[in-house]
Formats: sequence, C-alpha cells, structure tokens
Amino acid sequence: MADTDQVVEEEIDLAPTQKILDALPEKSRRYLIPALQKIQGVYRYLPEPAMELVMMDIGISKAQLYGVISFFPKFLIEEPGKYIINLCYGTACFVKGAEIIVNKIHECYKIKPGQTDASKLFTLQTASCLGNCGAAPMAIIGEDTHGTIDPEKSLELLASYKL
Amino acid sequence: MSVTVRETINFTIDGKPATAPEGTIILEVAQKYGFEVTNLCYNKKLKPFAACRTCMVEVRHNGKKELVYSCTHPVAEGMEVIIHTEETDRYNSANIEMLLVEHPLDCPICDKSGVCPLQDNTELLELQKPRFEIQRRNEPSIKTNPLIEFYLNRCIVCGLCVRACDEIQGVQALDFHQRGMKASIGTANDEPLDCEFCGQCITVCPTGALMDMSSDARGLAALFKNTNTTCSYCSWGCTVQLETKKNKLVRITADETPGVGINEGNLCAKGRFGHGIVHNDERIQSPLINQGGTFQEIGWDEAIEMIAERAKTTINRNGAESLAGLASEKLTNEENYLFQKLFRNNYGSNQINNLQNLQAPYVNDFMLNCFENGIESKPVTELDQADVVLIFNSDLPSEYPVGGNSIRKGAIFTGTRVIFANPRNMRFDHESRIDIRLIYNQDADFMLANRLCRILIDENLVDTAKVQEQIPNFNDLVASLAPYTADATKKATGLTNEQLKRTATQLAEKADRALIIGNDVLNTGKGKETLNALLNLAILLNAGGEGSVSIYPPREHCNSQGVNDMGATPQYLPGYRPVNDAFEHENLADELFENCANGKIKFLHIAGEDPMTSYKSRSIVEQALDTVPFLVVQDIYMSETARKANLILPTATFAEKEGTVTNMTRHVQKVVPAIPVQGKAKSDLEIFHNLADALGSPFKSKSSSDVLEEIRQTIPAYKDVDPARHEQWKPSGVTAKPAFQICAFEELKASKRDFSMKLLTNNHMFHIGSYTHFSKALTDIGPDCFAEINPKDAKKSELVNGDTLLVESSQANLKVQMKINPAVPAGMVYIPKNWPEVPVNALRNGEDGTVHVKISKSE
Repeated sequence: MADTDQVVEEEIDLAPTQKILDALPEKSRRYLIPALQKIQGVYRYLPEPAMELVMMDIGISKAQLYGVISFFPKFLIEEPGKYIINLCYGTACFVKGAEIIVNKIHECYKIKPGQTDASKLFTLQTASCLGNCGAAPMAIIGEDTHGTIDPEKSLELLASYKL
Repeated sequence: MSVTVRETINFTIDGKPATAPEGTIILEVAQKYGFEVTNLCYNKKLKPFAACRTCMVEVRHNGKKELVYSCTHPVAEGMEVIIHTEETDRYNSANIEMLLVEHPLDCPICDKSGVCPLQDNTELLELQKPRFEIQRRNEPSIKTNPLIEFYLNRCIVCGLCVRACDEIQGVQALDFHQRGMKASIGTANDEPLDCEFCGQCITVCPTGALMDMSSDARGLAALFKNTNTTCSYCSWGCTVQLETKKNKLVRITADETPGVGINEGNLCAKGRFGHGIVHNDERIQSPLINQGGTFQEIGWDEAIEMIAERAKTTINRNGAESLAGLASEKLTNEENYLFQKLFRNNYGSNQINNLQNLQAPYVNDFMLNCFENGIESKPVTELDQADVVLIFNSDLPSEYPVGGNSIRKGAIFTGTRVIFANPRNMRFDHESRIDIRLIYNQDADFMLANRLCRILIDENLVDTAKVQEQIPNFNDLVASLAPYTADATKKATGLTNEQLKRTATQLAEKADRALIIGNDVLNTGKGKETLNALLNLAILLNAGGEGSVSIYPPREHCNSQGVNDMGATPQYLPGYRPVNDAFEHENLADELFENCANGKIKFLHIAGEDPMTSYKSRSIVEQALDTVPFLVVQDIYMSETARKANLILPTATFAEKEGTVTNMTRHVQKVVPAIPVQGKAKSDLEIFHNLADALGSPFKSKSSSDVLEEIRQTIPAYKDVDPARHEQWKPSGVTAKPAFQICAFEELKASKRDFSMKLLTNNHMFHIGSYTHFSKALTDIGPDCFAEINPKDAKKSELVNGDTLLVESSQANLKVQMKINPAVPAGMVYIPKNWPEVPVNALRNGEDGTVHVKISKSE
C-alpha cells in the first residue's frame, strides 16, 4: 500500500478550543451550542480531544454532550471531505431526480448520504429543502450553489472539484 | 422536615375535596387520593418531565376549562380536577396507541411483564383493538457492558432512565441521542456503558427495555415470589426485593412502593447485583475439621460436640476468661445477641468483641455522648428534607451510595445545600444551588472540624450566651479551641479561612442539618478527636442555633450498629448498660488479637468475620490465629481466617435467614428468608442454639422471633420498635449530661522521610467486606485492584497508567496495578482494601493512624 493511503493521525491544536471556552460568558450548558458551533468553525468538525475539553470545562458528561451533538445533523464528529455536498431531497428536487444524483454519486465515489469518500474530497449530505424549488434539483457544494442540475451530468459537475 | 413551610391548597378531584401543599402537581395528589391516572414517564423521585403525554386531565379554574398534563401542572386554590373525561381519554389513548405501533408485544419473555405501566395503561384505556398498522422495530439487543442489557425495541423514550441517571445518581451516563423517529436513549456514540452500575435505570424503566443481565431469569416478574428483606452489605440498610422461583434466588430488584424501606427503591451495584454470593459452588459445603493442615468433612453433631467439650475443658483448665468470641458486623441482632449470651451466660466470659469496636472503641461513646447532649438525630427517611447536609470525609458514591441518592433528591425538591468535605476531590454531582467543596489535606479532619467550632463561636454565628447557659463546660471548649487559628488551620488543612467561614455560616443558619460521617475518619489516627470535634459542632448548633442537627456514628457493615447495640463488646452489655461487677476480670477482648498472640486467650470463636483481611493490621491477626490453641470459624466462604481454624462451620447467607439488623442511623429492619438454608449449612442462630444445647444449658428461645422478644425485654430502646415499619430506635432512659468533649491539641505528624506518601484504604465502589468477590456480577464490573495516585506523583516516579506499583511500608510491601487519578491529592496512595491478593492491611506495622509508604515502579 502506498504511503499516501495511510491514515496520518494529526495532532490537534486545542488552543483555539480553549480560547472559545474561555470567552464564554459563563461555563454552563446554556452556552454549549454556540461553543460547539464556534469549535466546528475552527476544525470543520468536532474532534474528540476538543470535546473532552468541553466536557471538563462546561461540566457535562460524555453522554449529554454527544446527545446534543447527535441532535443536530449540522454537527459532525468525523472530519468531513474538502467539499460538503448538500443535496436537496425536498419534494420538488426528489421528483426532478435527486435520487438519481445520489445513486450516481454512490456509483462513482462509493458514498451514501452522511458518508465521506476515501480521498476525503466529498461528504454527501441531504437536506429536507433548500428553499429554491424553482431551480430543482439543486445542491450546495462547498460554498457554491448549483440549480437545475441535469442528473445525468451531475458527475461532470462534481469532477470540477479537486482536492 | 424542612424549615420552609408551604401553604396548603384546597381543591377537588372528581368532585371530592382534597388538599395538598402549594406547588404539588396534580398527578401526585391524585395518586395519593387513590385515583388512577394514566401515565408512563412520571416518577415521584424525579423532576416533572412530561415526555409521554398520556396523563392529561381536565381542570376548571376561575370559570375556565383547560386540558393539562397532570404530571407537570400544580394544584391551585379552588381548582376542580376531572380525571378521565371522554376528551382526555381520547388524547391519552391516541398517544398510547401510537406507542403500541412500535412496541414489541413480547410480554411472555419480558422482565417487566405484570409490573408494566404500559400494560396497565393499555388495560385502563381499553386499547385491546389497535387502530394503526403495526410497524415493529427490529434492532439487536445491546450487551456491551457486563450487567445492563439495552433492548431498545421496547423503549418508549419516556426518559425515566436518563433522568434517574442524572437526578438520582448524579452520573449522567445516559442521554437521548438523535432526534425524531430515530431518537433513542443510550451512551455517547453507543460506547459500552461505564458507570456506577446502580441499576436505577432498570428499576425506573417501565417497559423492560433495560434488563438485569446478572440474572438468567427472563420474563413475567409477576410470577416470581417476592420477599422484601434488608441488604447485607453496607450500613445504609436498603430494603431489597429478592425474587425467587422454585426456591432459587433469581435476582434482586428494588421496591419503589412508598413506605417500603428507607431507600425509596434506590439501590447500588452491590445491593442489586451482588446476589451471586447466595447460590455459589464455592460456599463451604459441610463442617470441616483441620487435620494437620487439610480439612476433612465431619458431621454437625460431632462438630458442635467438639466445640462444647473444648469449651468446657478450657474453662476448667484456664478459666472462663480464656474463652473469647468475635461477633460479626454482618450477622443479625438476634445472632449477635445469642453469641454474647453464649459467652456471658453459658461460658461465663466477658471476652467478646466486634471488629469495629476493636478498631474504634470510641464510636459507641460518641453515639452515647450525642444522646446525653440531647442530639437524638432524625430518621434517615427524612434526610431528603434536610436543609443542609455536611458530608464529612465520605466518598458517598462508594461508601453510602443510596445516602447520596437521598441527598440529591433533597437538593432538587427541598433545596438542600450540600457541603462536601474530603481529602480526595471525589465526584458527587447533584443539583444543589449551594455546593461547598472543602478538599483538605489527609488526616487534617480534626483541624477542620475544630476550626468550624471556633468560627461559630468567634463570629457569633451561634448564640453563645444560650450555649453557655446550657452546656457547663463551654469555657473549657473555648479554651481548647485556642490552637485552631486561621493560620494553623490553613497550614494543616490547606483551606482558607474564607472557605471555612462560608461553611460555618451555611451550617449556622436556621435549618435542619444532617452530618454524614465517613468511616475514613476512623483511620486518620485521630478518629476520636475528629468525632468529638464534630459532636461539639453539633452541640453548638443544637444549643445555640435554630432548627435541628442530626449526626450519626460512621458504621461500615449492615449490622455494625446492631452488633454494638446487642452488647457484643467487653464494655457494654446489651443496650449499652455498662458491664457490672459480675465480670471483675481482666479485659482481654479490648486487645483481642494481642491477647491471643500472647497466649492469654486459649479458645477463640469467630462468627462470620474475616479479620485477616478486615482488621486494620494483618500481622497481629496472623500471629493471634496461629497461636491460639483452638479456633472455630463459622462463615459462608473459606476466608483466609477460616483457613487457620481448627474447626469450620458453614453458615447461611442473608437470603436464607430470619432476624433483624440495625443500620447506621438506628433503623431496625427485618431480614426475611426468601429461600431455605442451602446444602448442609446452618444459620448462625441455629448453631448458637445447638451449642447451648450441647453445653447442657439450652436457651429458652427456640426461634429468631423468640430472641427478638428477649431483646425487646432486655433493651428498652428496642421495646417498641417495629422492624416491619423500618423504625428508628430512640434512646430511652438516658440521663441528660450536656458537655462538650474536650481533646488536647496535638499537631499533625509529618511524613517520615523514607516513607513520604500516605496510604488511604477503604471499600471499593463495587466491593465491601470479603463476600462480594464471590459474586460474578461484581467481579465483572470491578475485576482488578488498582492503586490510584496523583499525576504529579506519577510524573515524579515516572509511572504511567497500567504500570505495576511497588508499595513499601516499614512493615511490608505489595505490588498492585496503578492508575493516575487527579482526584487523589499529591502525596496520597489510594488502594481499595477488598482484594485478597492485595492485602493492604499487611502494610500496617501495629501503629495507629495513617500508614506511611513509599512507591516505585515494580520491574
């Protein structure tokens, strides 16, 4: 196996987490969600060492912390791919072929909604409605919004995103 | 009872007039008045939650009709409550019907079948014909921890387990995960459950989603025979429900019925899962005689005859005083009473003692001093009503776990303020607004307690004029407190005067106060001084403050209190009557083991104790047992003590015997047999009766109840106590002798240079005494002994988690696995005392007080 395929455990710099926690007006559960949002803003997900700091600092148990995290699909506990595909799965987009897009992505990148591909390029997520049904089917890839995607040509669209 | 008084509210339920204190919720009152209200997620011990939405009632108030959830809605003046209207039934039914869409109706194999609120409510609302299409979940059972099985297909997400884990146990090992249709209860990321294994979640689970895996029995709880008895482990005295089937104990559950037990249906890991000691092949199967080092089975008659003969010849040759007995903190009152009677009446020897009285003979005096000062202490059933609780050097979750449950409940419902004083920064989570943590230096207990007394006086927090009037030696106390200055206390305890002032202020406020003292106090070498200082504190608060003070002596085992009440001590006859002239002989039992080792005691009878592992110093016990010419040990298991005996008698476990035990707060409670005595074993009571018969002077009593009757005649305090009602005995005939207990000041001994660390040892969270190791469930969750040290000490000695530690004292050394725990202060080594392979008591060299040790990495 090539060296590049090996998972390199990166040391996570916890200083930003500590800074976020120190800046909280009060170390209490009521500031947990904003704190998690800021931490995810730094690391793009919620790394476990950072969560241990949160547990100790805010004084909540692991079960309680991950209970909150798992309630919000927006919070990720694993590092996502470079681009998060937010594919609309609302009624209009579904009728216009969102499912076909999911299947094509699965064929090509071997990922289902909620998963990240091996090269860590894409994480696929589905949304209940992105609020732009006129442009169905639609998706947000990274920061870009794409409307009226041709399901058959969706892979070509994705191919323009590189690591 | 809390000092805050709530107003009484008048209202009606289904037209009948009712009253309740302000703030009471409708459901609680309705149940109290005997009305059936459907509900699935309500539990009186927990905060209102309203998850299941099946307890809707109609209320009319100020001319307005409202539909409210009775588990969260408080009663109001003039309110009319109507239960079961056509409308509320419709709403409540719909919610239960939707639960039945998913709930697997596998009732014949469900643990809760017959005691299931879902069944009851389905029946109550007549929902036998489902309206909706059935859609069962089919998730596999989660068995990733040794004791609690999660079968979430049955889960109705009522949240009772999550709330019990948080509010009752303060552990928060469970929470809700995901949301919507996927919402479920569990641990973070489905990791294996790692908690205190109290099993409170199993008790409160209404549907059998959480199950006790320590038992093979499955299904139909209602078909098992239930016997309520008292737990045989710690001294808190919880009522446990033994479930039996065909004369076999299948599991232990908690009975949450109000008024049953002092524990409101709360249990700990030991009480709930420690039943493996009952049906166990390792129990001693028959009387055994030691023939040159090997044990041979002999018959009961022969064994009893041999003891009687030996007793008689020893009395003839060496006098009655050369016969000594060690009574047990684990036997019933009746058994201990007969044991001391056997020695005093039949043998004519006063040489009888028990392990607690041997190690800390001042504990009984402390209790009697409390009585003489008019501090009777409230029943522990009122602990959850206390306004302030001082937890003094007790790691509650390990020592008195269920005591912790009551205090947490008080913090939620009564606003109990919690003061936690301990040398270790142990976890004790609760919802109290006031939580003072005093983490002080090991062995400085007496400094802390005395400083609190001095602050109360110096700062005029109590009415000193009133105290002076009531207690003659007040000025002596003031004088004796002179050395406890802020500086000296800070130096010894590490606590600032501000912290202590805050504590004293909390204690001095008008309040019902409870002081819970841990057994660790007795091992500091200044146990007597500390208890006396706490007593003085209690007297000051009682005489010079408003409200009440409850203080109880620390006790370790299920009948540590009762064994002393029954007079199994050389100082006191039953009922703490001083030993009179009838025994004008040398008191050998005070130094029982020393007097065995020096040959003065020729005959030792040990009933249900294992001093080799339980006594503070192992070497003297070993010498004693090796020297004493005749040793009888009666016990359930082959203990290290039993191995040294000439004769071993197999006895019955708590599940097989009848009697009473008295807990640390003096509640006398019943021990009820759930199964017959196993194999050839006999109850200790029967053995003592047989012995008296063989000695030719039989006891008049025939049964346990006869003995209890005799105890009632002998001990006035026991006369009117009804064990069936979990009543506390009250001191009777005590002459009031108000006096502070003055002790001379003595500075803390510094650590010796070679042995710079201090040892702390006590019972592990999952083990107590010498039996729990025979319970598979408890060894599954607490398999190995770990010494714990502070990260700083670990760094200094280059130790990491999992290393083997060499612990050396001037007497002995031992090897033990270690882990780093920041809760342990620097300079301390904590080793639980419950592993036979880690004999911590061997490290003591005969000196009292804390053992000094040094540590290093073992190669």
